[in-house]
Order: sequence, then C-alpha cells, then structure tokens
Amino acid sequence: MIRWWAQPSGFPVFIPYLYPLFILLLPLETPVWLLLIIGFFTGLTVDVFNSTAGMHAFACVLIAYLRTNVLNALLPKHLSEYGNQIPGIKNMGWVPFLTYSGFLILIHHVAFFTVEMWSFHNIGYLLLKIVASAFTSMLLIVCYLLLFTRQTALRN
Amino acid sequence: MRNFILFIRRFSNFLLFAVLEIVCIILIARTNTLQGSDVLSSANTVVGLISEKRDNIAYYFRLRDMNDSLLKENARLQTLFALSHKSYDTLKDSLVSQSYTSRDSTHIIQYANYIFRTARVIKNSVTATNNFITLGRGSEQGVRKNMAVISGNGAVGRVLYVSNNFSVALSLLNVKQKVSAQLKDGTIGSVMWPEGNPDVMIMEDISQQIKVNIGDSVFTTSYSFFPQDILIGTVIKKKIVKKNNLQFLYVKPATNFRNLQYVYIVENTKMEERLKLEDSTLTNTKK
Repeated sequence: MIRWWAQPSGFPVFIPYLYPLFILLLPLETPVWLLLIIGFFTGLTVDVFNSTAGMHAFACVLIAYLRTNVLNALLPKHLSEYGNQIPGIKNMGWVPFLTYSGFLILIHHVAFFTVEMWSFHNIGYLLLKIVASAFTSMLLIVCYLLLFTRQTALRN
Repeated sequence: MRNFILFIRRFSNFLLFAVLEIVCIILIARTNTLQGSDVLSSANTVVGLISEKRDNIAYYFRLRDMNDSLLKENARLQTLFALSHKSYDTLKDSLVSQSYTSRDSTHIIQYANYIFRTARVIKNSVTATNNFITLGRGSEQGVRKNMAVISGNGAVGRVLYVSNNFSVALSLLNVKQKVSAQLKDGTIGSVMWPEGNPDVMIMEDISQQIKVNIGDSVFTTSYSFFPQDILIGTVIKKKIVKKNNLQFLYVKPATNFRNLQYVYIVENTKMEERLKLEDSTLTNTKK
C-alpha cells in the first residue's frame, strides 16, 4: 500500500506544499495589508525557483486574504485581543487549528493546481491531484506541529 | 469625492488584494505565451547560482549513474562511427559540429548544420504540469532561445529562457507543446504528454493500415527544431480508438527524465534562414 502510494507511476502525482504554513503561522494581529504583501512575496519566491511565474503567488495572496475571515469565524474573541500570539494548537486547540489550516491549504491547492493545469479536460485527475496533495500537506503540517510545538508539560 | 475616499478607505484591503491578484494573473499570462520574459524564471542569475550550489553537492552522489550513461553513449557512438565514416569536426573540447546531408542520387542537399554543446543539468522536475530543466550554460556560452536539448539517450526538450550563464528548457514532459515524430517506416505524427506519469507519452491518430509493433522506436523529424532521427521513445502499448478507428500508441520516453545529468544543446546554424523563409511564406499567403 505504501509503496503503491509512494511510486509516482502507481498513483496520480501528488505534490505536498508546506510553505503556506508560513502565512498561516503569522501573528494573529498582523494587519491584512501586511499579510497580503508577505503572501505575495512568499509566493513569488517559490515561483522564481519553480519557473511558474505568478501561480504560487496567486494562491498565496488568496489564502492571505481569507486567513483573517477564517480566524474570526473560528476564534471566540476578536483578533486584536490576542496580542502577540501566533495561531497554534496551544491557543486554538487541535480541532479549530486543523480546520483552519485544512480549509486554507485546500483553497491554496485548488487555486494553484487549477491555475497550473488551466483546463478542465481531465477534471477527475485534477480533483484527485488536489485531494491527494492536500492530504499529504496536512500530514506534513501535523508532523511539523508535533515537532515544533513547545511541550510545557514536559518542562515542569 | 468624499464618498470616493471613504469607499477606498473602507475597501482598501480588498483593493490591495485585487491589485495583487491582477499582478499575478498578468505574470502568469505573460509566461503562458511561451515567449515570456526571463526575469522571473530560474534562468535568473541569483536563482541559477543557488541551484548550481545545491547541484554541486548532489552531483557527487550521482557520479556512478553518470558513468554508466556515458559508457552506454560512448558505445552507441562507437558503433555509429564504425558504420558510417562521416567526419566529425572537433572545434573545441565538448563542442562538436556535424552537418546533416541527404544524398539524393547526384546532388547533395545540406539542410542543417548542427553544433552540439554539452551542458550540466542543475535543476530538474518531473511532477509539474509543465516541467522545466535549468541548464548551467547561457548566452555567453552561445546558447540561444529555441535550441533543441537532447541527452545521450534521446530527445529532452527546447530552450525557453536564456540569461548570461544559465538557461531554462521546457522538457518534453509538458502539455503546452507537441513534438513532431515519425515511426521507423516514415509515418509522421506527433508525440505529446498526457501529464501525470513521466514514463508514458502518447502518439495519437496513426491510421490502422500502418503496422506498429510493441517495441518500435519513435524518432524526431526534420520538421521540428530537433535534429532528425533522435530517439524519442519506444512503443509500449497500442490500442484502437473506436470513435475514429485510428491507432493510439503509448510511448515510453528514451530519456530518463528523473535522473538527467548531462545534456547536449543543439544549435542549428541554418535554422534562422529556414524560419525566416517559412515566416515570409506565411505572411505572403495571408495577404
């Protein structure tokens, strides 16, 4: 099963992207205009290395814009009350954070792969690629969270 | 006026968002014409330098594979050399010039004159919808746009962007462009990539009268920017499309795009003249 999954010829190509996490983990009270500009330049940097001018930047600006709305919908207090905290499982909890990141990653992948393919000829393949990539990205994000979240319980 | 300023203040974020997205769309549209600028590609000097540094580290670990492929290619060239006593003119280390002639009873027609330059692959991908290969040679070493890129095993792609010391080639694994191809009996068709698996390309619309066997080779033609008779791949499967009763061939590329290390950039010195003539023919018939 794992071998079949990992072989590029066995399963439609899936490409996880972990870099949107940078935009997702910016401090909660970052103003929207700054988010948009950071998102744009993050995307552009990735684009330059992949020769895909503008495609990553397009998807990044989209999720940077939607980020505030999603966070407002998921968090109980207004964003400006959180001060300098960053979104994470400690101040949001597992389920809200995974909903937040999962939703935005899915939107990022939908935007990116649609723009990359630029046709709905084989829409089944496109959907499978989006779902497989988003799933793998989420797995990697969970790994990242498990590795880089401070375990306060262990320190005491 | 006051209302206008209020409107801008209220929707400033949305306006910024819209402007940035439009910038992105313009960037995408410019590159999608296949003739876009090379500022934002990996032929860019800074990105090229970083890729080259990274490749220098990875390079060491692939020496063994490269030895094998060079040996294989040497053997192939030796047999070619033994078969036909053509003269190879070595101008410079790694620069080989070879003229392409076709003997037609009494006349000798020379329609192409090729210069081969070696180049290191410093960045490569097989997973995207349009895959690009960054090469460590640029305009200062004589690389120009639209030159063909081949490897020891077969066809690879076409140079798209060139900077001073780097160039980016569009590999055959792309959905933008078909490549003119012929079977060994001379049937002309075109090979394209249906995206996804880097081991399968397709050749459509071959009429049923033409006998194709599994394992037949598919070559490039002189119609395209590639030199003639460069191997593209071998037929691995064929089926007949019910809709129009034509054959549909699956082709396995001869080049292993996953571990490309060295390629040849092929310059055709007579291409410019040919393209000029063909273009003028096109514009004249339009009038």
